[in-house]
Amino acid sequence: MRNGARAVKWGVPIAAVAVVAGVAAAGPVIAAVQGDPSLPDRTARELVADATRKWQSGQLPPMSGTIVQTASLGLPTLPVAGDVTSPIALLAGSHQAKVWYGGPAKVRLMVPGEMSETDLIVNGDQVWWWNSAANTATRVKGAPPDGKPEATPYASAITPQQAAEEALRAAGGDTEITVGKDATVAGRAAYEVVLTPKDAGSLIKDVRVALDGETLLPLRVQVYAKGTAEPAFEVGFDSVTFSPPAPENFAFTPPLGAKVEESTVPSFAHGPHGKDAIENAAPRVVGDGWDRVVVASVPERLTQDMAATADKAESWRGSNGVTSLTDGLLKSATPVRGEWGSGRLIRTKLVSVLLTDDGRLVAGAVTPEVLYAAAAQK
Amino acid sequence: MSNHEPPGHPSAVAVGTGAAPGRGAGPARAAARLLASETALTFRRPRHLAMLGVLAVVPVLIGVAVRLVAGDGDTGSIVAQVAGNGLVLTFTAFFVMLPLALPLAVSVVAGDAVAGEASQGTLRYLLTAPAGRGRLLALKYANVVLFCLASCTLVAVSALVAGLALFPAGPVTLLSGTTVPFAEALLRAGVAVLYASAGMAALGALALAFSTLTENPVGAISATVVLVVVSEVLAAIPQLSALRPFLLTSWWNAFDGVLRAPMDTGRMGTGLLVFAGYGVISGAFAWARFTSRDVTS
Repeated sequence: MRNGARAVKWGVPIAAVAVVAGVAAAGPVIAAVQGDPSLPDRTARELVADATRKWQSGQLPPMSGTIVQTASLGLPTLPVAGDVTSPIALLAGSHQAKVWYGGPAKVRLMVPGEMSETDLIVNGDQVWWWNSAANTATRVKGAPPDGKPEATPYASAITPQQAAEEALRAAGGDTEITVGKDATVAGRAAYEVVLTPKDAGSLIKDVRVALDGETLLPLRVQVYAKGTAEPAFEVGFDSVTFSPPAPENFAFTPPLGAKVEESTVPSFAHGPHGKDAIENAAPRVVGDGWDRVVVASVPERLTQDMAATADKAESWRGSNGVTSLTDGLLKSATPVRGEWGSGRLIRTKLVSVLLTDDGRLVAGAVTPEVLYAAAAQK
Repeated sequence: MSNHEPPGHPSAVAVGTGAAPGRGAGPARAAARLLASETALTFRRPRHLAMLGVLAVVPVLIGVAVRLVAGDGDTGSIVAQVAGNGLVLTFTAFFVMLPLALPLAVSVVAGDAVAGEASQGTLRYLLTAPAGRGRLLALKYANVVLFCLASCTLVAVSALVAGLALFPAGPVTLLSGTTVPFAEALLRAGVAVLYASAGMAALGALALAFSTLTENPVGAISATVVLVVVSEVLAAIPQLSALRPFLLTSWWNAFDGVLRAPMDTGRMGTGLLVFAGYGVISGAFAWARFTSRDVTS
């Protein structure tokens, strides 16, 4: 065969590679070609006020979508399989959840795992937490009164909305609020509100909240650590549809053969950051604004919790991942000492944790110096 | 083994006898005849039959193991689910066998497709047929796809029979906690079979591309298997999680979308696109190589 014909033939697979790469890259490329969306100008204050009013009125539009949460805190990451709903597992890597929202009293949050699934279903006064790996359906007592979305902390525990509310609450007065360039999130034009801490001790460069241009629903929250170009923590919609979800999503009856339990608050409500889990163990907050630091007595509970989490995950892959992550964390702690005493320090891009030798745990999104100062005030 | 086979390769003979008078019967009929002889050859080979036998036995072994464990009271969830309903064994079998057992079988058949003929010296007989190299490659691939479908169906049927023999049947509880009637669950198992077959067919295309590169079938087979293992290792490293969506192996287990309510068509759809991407690239490479190479054996 002639060389010319041969060269033409090899053009076909090269073209195939180009086409497949083109299809794979189509999303980002189309977004880049379309450029940034332009929404009518609004000031930061207007946006925040309007958005808060919308959320508090409880009249959020019915919708469904996929949420992706990504944390790259710079933790010593090890293969973490096991219990996907464990708060510790959420500290590393990327996680996906699906949400269906039909109204304040109709919410379903689903976290898929490999051949397993965890669901939180709120339907009227019934709140169910379903864990297929453990084959347990938990009826959550103290069902939320109707009306306000804040009343469903379980459902919004890891949604962008919860994260946005947290950020605004944490912001207080020592924050510069600006409106960034309009962004496209889940294919929708969105305002981007940028919260920049004024405190020097904060490890957070800024928090960016993308609000849907039409409904002002938070579509994405990104937390940038100082000195990084990629967000250290991000939770946002990957896809979203504003139409009422099918009613089957909110109907849950414990299947035959499942263990049915009752509990007051599901462990799911511990929230996405480990900080919340620790807050539950102990309740003292030192400082205010972005420099807030949580001081707790070091919980034997913490270790017990971790062991319990490990036991709970009876999945095929086992849960050694969670334990090894904890071990890795403790191993990465460096011994430190100062006027406040001595202890071990765990540093990540976004969060510092100090475990003092006299049994206290000090943590916050701050530099170690702020932790030492907090540790000094007994 | 190749030494014991007669040089007149059955498929080559079939082409030789079929093509000459078959001119008027149309190329479609000739192609169908060639495919039939290829398929018959694939499913008659003792080696392939032994592999299919192993594939059929694994679900039975899982079923027996679950049956033995299930009496011990508080056991894991999947075990409990299988023990509660035999149909779940089908999905469990796929979950266990999709990472390695099924890919291994598909690699052996697809990796052998061209390189095996070349190593036995029967490839040039095949090429004497006026079918054209491109069409011959397409037929080889069609045969691989049939084998993927057959092996996935075999696993499902074997698991279903074992499951129904060892455990009770009835409405099935999905991962979402919703209970669906037996017939619907059977339908969902069918979708899982098709999805798994598509995933295996993508791997088959890759193995066929390797098969056109060499005259040594073992080389093509082991290259494919090594690639599968390496992909799975890469997917297990958290620091490389960005790679995961691009690896073929990461999408096989997305068949568990059929066990959710509503069915997770989004993720499975993306999986099918990934399979198509791998199939198109591998197919184009295999075609370019096979139609431009000098066949000396």
